[in-house]
Amino acid sequence: MSAHDLNGALPHEPEKATLEGRNKILGFWLFLGAETVLFGTLFSSYLALRHNIGDGPPASELFKLPTVFAATMILLTSSLMSVFAVQALHQKKVKPMIGWLVATIVLGLGFLGLEIYEFTEYIHEGHKMPTSAFSSSFYTLVGFHGAHVAFGVLWIGLLILQIMKKGLTVVTAPKIYVSAIYWHFIDVVWVFIFTVVYLMGKVG
Amino acid sequence: MSSNQSTHEETRRHREEGPKKHIVAFVLSLVLTLIAFAAVASGEINTTFTYVILVGMAIVQVFVQLSFWMHMKDRGHLFPILGIVFGAVVVFTMVIMAEYWVWW
Repeated sequence: MSAHDLNGALPHEPEKATLEGRNKILGFWLFLGAETVLFGTLFSSYLALRHNIGDGPPASELFKLPTVFAATMILLTSSLMSVFAVQALHQKKVKPMIGWLVATIVLGLGFLGLEIYEFTEYIHEGHKMPTSAFSSSFYTLVGFHGAHVAFGVLWIGLLILQIMKKGLTVVTAPKIYVSAIYWHFIDVVWVFIFTVVYLMGKVG
Repeated sequence: MSSNQSTHEETRRHREEGPKKHIVAFVLSLVLTLIAFAAVASGEINTTFTYVILVGMAIVQVFVQLSFWMHMKDRGHLFPILGIVFGAVVVFTMVIMAEYWVWW
């Protein structure tokens, strides 16, 4: 196993070359199953509470489709950058891989910036965390997703530093692979957020 | 062991097809997203049918992303599928409960 990183010849699909790497990927998928349940509870409470708007503005007046569409495009493109990083990993091209990872987190930061802008707009329109059951469950669900994006940006950022220091080995490759899976998962959750929260909220 | 080896050979060929399938998945996701946004933005489709379109587009898009970008359709993904399906079943139950049972 250690022979691989010593002589520099990486095995095919280095993220799955060791038992540790394969276990890491399997364990990560089980974690994502738990994450699905976590987001599911937030979605179900949002669905149960979304009509209780109290004195706040209703969803159909609050949400701006262009902003949501821009955020969706940014995150979708970022997911594509991340899959290109994994392809570069499989081709053992370290520099392009780092480039794709940087593109991934830059777009992630763009998404976060847009979300912060959106939330401040809502607060000015009287849609604050304590306004109503609708606003509380909205900020909890969408904010939790935003926190996942922020964590992903931090995580992938640290992985880039580690790759620059240690290079691509059978130890670092599973980390890149798993972070890409995480990033796609965040995009999948966003698909449900823009559908259930924003588009359905706009319809009424 | 030998069967393991042949699996590796197959995925190798699969992987080296290049970025084409990922771009196809991206364009597909883009189109599905556009349909969903257009259905709401046009405002001409009745509410029930819009809901059907929205949920349909979301589910198809999630399948596209899970199978292409998260490599779920590749070999050796039985346990990941079990994990996610388990999560999805719990979510489905909770969403149905929240929509039709809690406080109504």
